[in-house]
Amino acid sequence: MTGFLLRRLLILLATLIAASLVVFAVLQVLPGDPAAIMLGTGARPDTVAALRHRLGLDAPLALRYLRWIAGLATGDFGISYTYSVPVRTLIGERVLVSLPLAVLAIVLSTAIAIPVGVLAAARRGRAADAAMMGVAQVGVAIPNFWLGLLLILLFAIRLPWLPASGFPGWDGGAWPALRALILPALALGLPQGAILARVTRAAVIETLGEDFVRTARAWGLSRRAALWRHAVPNALVPVVTLIGLQFSFLLAGTVIVENVFTLPGLGRLVFQAIAQRDLIVVQDLVVLLAGSVIAVNFVVDLVAAWLDPRQRLAA
Amino acid sequence: MLTVSDLSVTLPMAGVPVPVLSGVSLTLPRGGSVGLVGESGSGKSMTALAVMGLLPPGARTGGQIGFDGHDLLAAPEAALCALRGRRIGMVFQEPMTALDPLMRIGAQVAEPLRRHLGLSRAAAAARAAALLARVGLAPPRVTPDLYPHQLSGGQRQRVVIAAALACGPDLLIADEPTTALDVTVQAQVLDLLAALTAEAGMALLLITHDLAVVSETVEQVLVMYAGRVVESGSTAAVFARMAHPYTRALFAASPHAAVGDPAPIPGVMPDPRARPPGCAFAPRCARAGGECTRTVPPLLGTDAHRVACFHPHAAR
Repeated sequence: MTGFLLRRLLILLATLIAASLVVFAVLQVLPGDPAAIMLGTGARPDTVAALRHRLGLDAPLALRYLRWIAGLATGDFGISYTYSVPVRTLIGERVLVSLPLAVLAIVLSTAIAIPVGVLAAARRGRAADAAMMGVAQVGVAIPNFWLGLLLILLFAIRLPWLPASGFPGWDGGAWPALRALILPALALGLPQGAILARVTRAAVIETLGEDFVRTARAWGLSRRAALWRHAVPNALVPVVTLIGLQFSFLLAGTVIVENVFTLPGLGRLVFQAIAQRDLIVVQDLVVLLAGSVIAVNFVVDLVAAWLDPRQRLAA
Repeated sequence: MLTVSDLSVTLPMAGVPVPVLSGVSLTLPRGGSVGLVGESGSGKSMTALAVMGLLPPGARTGGQIGFDGHDLLAAPEAALCALRGRRIGMVFQEPMTALDPLMRIGAQVAEPLRRHLGLSRAAAAARAAALLARVGLAPPRVTPDLYPHQLSGGQRQRVVIAAALACGPDLLIADEPTTALDVTVQAQVLDLLAALTAEAGMALLLITHDLAVVSETVEQVLVMYAGRVVESGSTAAVFARMAHPYTRALFAASPHAAVGDPAPIPGVMPDPRARPPGCAFAPRCARAGGECTRTVPPLLGTDAHRVACFHPHAAR
């Protein structure tokens, strides 16, 4: 187990270094000089050059890369070119929105999808299965931003229960902040849940056909007991893998839904930083997100190993 | 104790009901043993699944299966659940896939104990450990906390046997229990089954494609072909005569038969969707005559020996 963890940590480090190299290289190739963008089109060349020097942009490539990595390693993420505040503060504020939102959405998606998928599998080919999978099909097809608009219309305007947009921050208490996240979490979680329900159904139908389910029935287990004790646990590994993928996506791939609800999340930060050539922010975010994807995959592997002794004992 | 009379089963194939069993009858007294013999697709496993009430979805059944006063074909699902694993145990063909890969073997053997006898977790675990030791899986080599993938095929089949016998059933159905095992292990597992059933006075329904296997293990034999019984009787009588040409062909094809190399049976069993109108074996039979292709031969004779053939062999 220690070897397993060590190997994983090494892979994590190597992946992070590779990601940092790629993003650094790509951003050097992209057109657009941050100093020129910050100063506007009318700026004089010598002013731009001075700013480039102050930002360290005139140093050799290798040196700039090493400076950046050394900063990351010591917790210094650099200063945003456009906002002139530490990138760490900038990202920290956004994480406090995006992380709770992603957790809320994934909990919602999982809580709905697993029971629905299992029940549909147990009743496959019957009316309940057709109804649930029909709804799931619609859920897969609906774009999440459109669902977000519908939710705003229904639960913020028609029924004034929840705020339509904005985020009050956590300083005013947990409940106002959570209230602001409920509708976006629904808009993100329901379509994800629809996909997850379909995957769960397919996985459970497959394990229901396994010999060990028939063996359990021959031991006298009812259909329901064989389903929950044997078919469902064996179907969970692919389901957990998909939950991990969905969580990684929810952390930063949600810029459209963040815009619909005007939430200050990571997705919008990435988008703005790219648009404004705030290279240092883009670099930091990409490495951070790569790290979080790897960390989530690591957790998924741990859960899979916990679920399946074949993976645990082989490792 | 087990009386199957005129059992028929049809399964939907591509939406069309196809007969897979027709007119199967057998009687298994308490403590007795019956062998069901035939090639893949002869309906022997389907007979076992019908007794267990575990036929695939959409199956339609006819006839009766009497077990100690219950008609298993008419019994409600809850009554069948109470019988399965408690009064009727079953051992399957594929030990590699018959156990839940996520569950320790001790917990799997304990599962019928907890369900039927209402044992506590600790009591069931202790009984499971004793059962595993009884089938030859004892510490230090095999402990109840191992997982199926840590065992060999023969060891896994022993786990399946331990779970099937956990609640002391009156009837054990063994569906090709040794087919998937190494030749060296086959005899051990068969001997174990025979010893355990004899010791407990348990009835045994042994399903196999190997005619030579049953000659040493069971009292009665039913030879099945294409969903029908073609020859049946006491093991001694059937082996003394082997009246049906299929029985002889099957015996000659057995790797364990005493005489010469195994001889494969020419041709294949007819598809159940397109069985010939007469005797299903006629297209592969050297003795078939005109009536064989027109009418299904009835199963005639005495309880000691019956055969369904218009041109049976005389004594060997």
